[in-house]
Amino acid sequence: MKILLIEDDREAANYLIQALDEAGHVTHHASDGETGYAMASDMDYDVLIIDRMLPRRDGLSIIESLRAEGDKTPVLILSALGEVDDRVTGLRAGGDDYLTKPYAFSELLARVEILARRSNPLEATNSFSVGDLKLDRLSRKITRDGRDILLQPREFRLLEYLMKHSGQVVTRTMLLENVWDYHFDPQTNVIDVHISRLRAKIDKGFNKSLLQTIRGAGYMISD
Amino acid sequence: MAYQSSIQIQRNQIREIEREIVEINRIEENRSIRAAAKAVQVLSRRRGNGIYYLGDGEGRMLVGNISTFPSNVLMNDGIFTIDYNRERAFASDNNRKRFKGYALLKSTKLGDGFRLIVGRDIVERRGYTAIIFRGFLFGVIGIVVLSLLTGALSAMRVLKRIDSISNTSDKIMSGNLSERIPVTKRNDEYDRLATSLNDMLDRIEQLMLGLKEVSDNVAHDLKTPLTRMRNKAEAALRKSASAKDRTKALEENIKESDNLIRTFNALLLIARVEAGTPSGSFSQFDINETIKDIAELYLPVAEDAGFMLSTNILGKINIFANRELVGQALVNLLENAIKYASNSDKENLQIILGTREDNGKVEIEVSDNGMGITKDDRTRATERFVRLEKSRTEPGSGLGLSLVKAVAKLHKGELRLEDNKSGLRAIISLPKTG
Repeated sequence: MKILLIEDDREAANYLIQALDEAGHVTHHASDGETGYAMASDMDYDVLIIDRMLPRRDGLSIIESLRAEGDKTPVLILSALGEVDDRVTGLRAGGDDYLTKPYAFSELLARVEILARRSNPLEATNSFSVGDLKLDRLSRKITRDGRDILLQPREFRLLEYLMKHSGQVVTRTMLLENVWDYHFDPQTNVIDVHISRLRAKIDKGFNKSLLQTIRGAGYMISD
Repeated sequence: MAYQSSIQIQRNQIREIEREIVEINRIEENRSIRAAAKAVQVLSRRRGNGIYYLGDGEGRMLVGNISTFPSNVLMNDGIFTIDYNRERAFASDNNRKRFKGYALLKSTKLGDGFRLIVGRDIVERRGYTAIIFRGFLFGVIGIVVLSLLTGALSAMRVLKRIDSISNTSDKIMSGNLSERIPVTKRNDEYDRLATSLNDMLDRIEQLMLGLKEVSDNVAHDLKTPLTRMRNKAEAALRKSASAKDRTKALEENIKESDNLIRTFNALLLIARVEAGTPSGSFSQFDINETIKDIAELYLPVAEDAGFMLSTNILGKINIFANRELVGQALVNLLENAIKYASNSDKENLQIILGTREDNGKVEIEVSDNGMGITKDDRTRATERFVRLEKSRTEPGSGLGLSLVKAVAKLHKGELRLEDNKSGLRAIISLPKTG
């Protein structure tokens, strides 16, 4: 996929470009706000990664201008400001996701890939399936290989989120944000324990494990 | 005033003189000139400052105590002031100049060409005026001198007290924070000022000590992992290190830096919360819903650690607060309970999350039945970076309870740690709004 990175810290930018390249993405780079805005309006990108504080033009104003022009390219905001209100203002300006510096590359990659996918109209689907595992959003029914699986409401939402992004890595923070709606950083392995309980319900007794742990990154459900 | 009183005296004297003249006149009219002369004689023999004269038409004195007058006094009626020669010393005052007098007179014509002059020696009056004037002058000078003196004295006293305050503040500014303003036993307003300034200084010193302790702890808690990271990186660079060693060192470095970031974030968050986040981030929500969410989120972890995690909530309790921060505070308390209460070798370990409304307050409670912490440790536990001895070895930043305390304060509430009769009960008490 094609990514535009607007980031003034050259070292951080080089590292990201290289790492994204290794993950198979083409990344263009702009080191100030004006150039970045020009590039974003001229060319088509799948995802924009925009630092919040930039020389010549502030990151949020770039997003606001793009949105005003009807550009719907998903935007991931990078920022050293990580408080609740900062996140809110970032998202209100038209950002799609918000990542606080310093971050793990795996976290950034997972979010970028999910953002890129979001631009495809997938939300409308009422059912997901991964291999022989099926989830129906309307009847709230889950079956695997024809057998019913009973889940707690929260486990349902967890599985729903994972299946919506099947084949993609989902990090623990993303799960906490999207399934529980909290943005803090838990010290204990709360998410891991929920995953392992979910795993026990959907994978136990079947030959194939669908819910995988991606070391150093998070989880992924895939066939 | 002296002038005023001399005028008054003059008026009184004239009135007196006139009264005597009227009296003598009446005697002369009712009886005879002889009787009047008799009366004048009696009067003139009286001691005092009276001047009397009764003479015939040619200016010859018949009776009286002064014989010669200027001719205009002898010829005309009216009031005069004259210099005259005393013919008889007034016995009462020897210190007066003998022969020089000064008199206030009234001259009247009686029937048959007789002339009556009644007067008063007014040197006395003038003396009196002078006395009054002198008294007045001394009074004024006295008052001025006295007030200058008191002014100077009290100014000196004030200056001395102010000097002592400014000396103390100089010493404090030069770094001696334990210096205090001396308080006297007088218990006056300066002492009250000094006492309240001293109280303020106590508070500042306490805060400074706290800050110093915090920065010492920050230095320790941040430098230690940084040193470890540096050592590991150096070890990985040694020639003898294998590729596997290097990978391991790098992984450990990431882990250490993640922990550092976490500590750093917690510090920033506390600072931010203590500075007060804008109330725009506040919203109305049901705290019981939050309790349920968090209990549900932590249930598996708690169970794996051997706890029964339950909630004790009733209905809906809406509060106006920052949901994220209250959630974070609850999670900190819950994680503490799981981390520390599991050290207990007790069976049936329990954690209860509960809320209750009490006297316009909403109390959010996390209680466990682990070992608890002693009374002395309870106050220390909420300080930044303080990790009670028993927990030194546990992972964690030592910032959890500080954040809870800051969050409670942000919402104008408080954090209380209480004895749960075996175990700890942590209570976030918030004022109920809306």
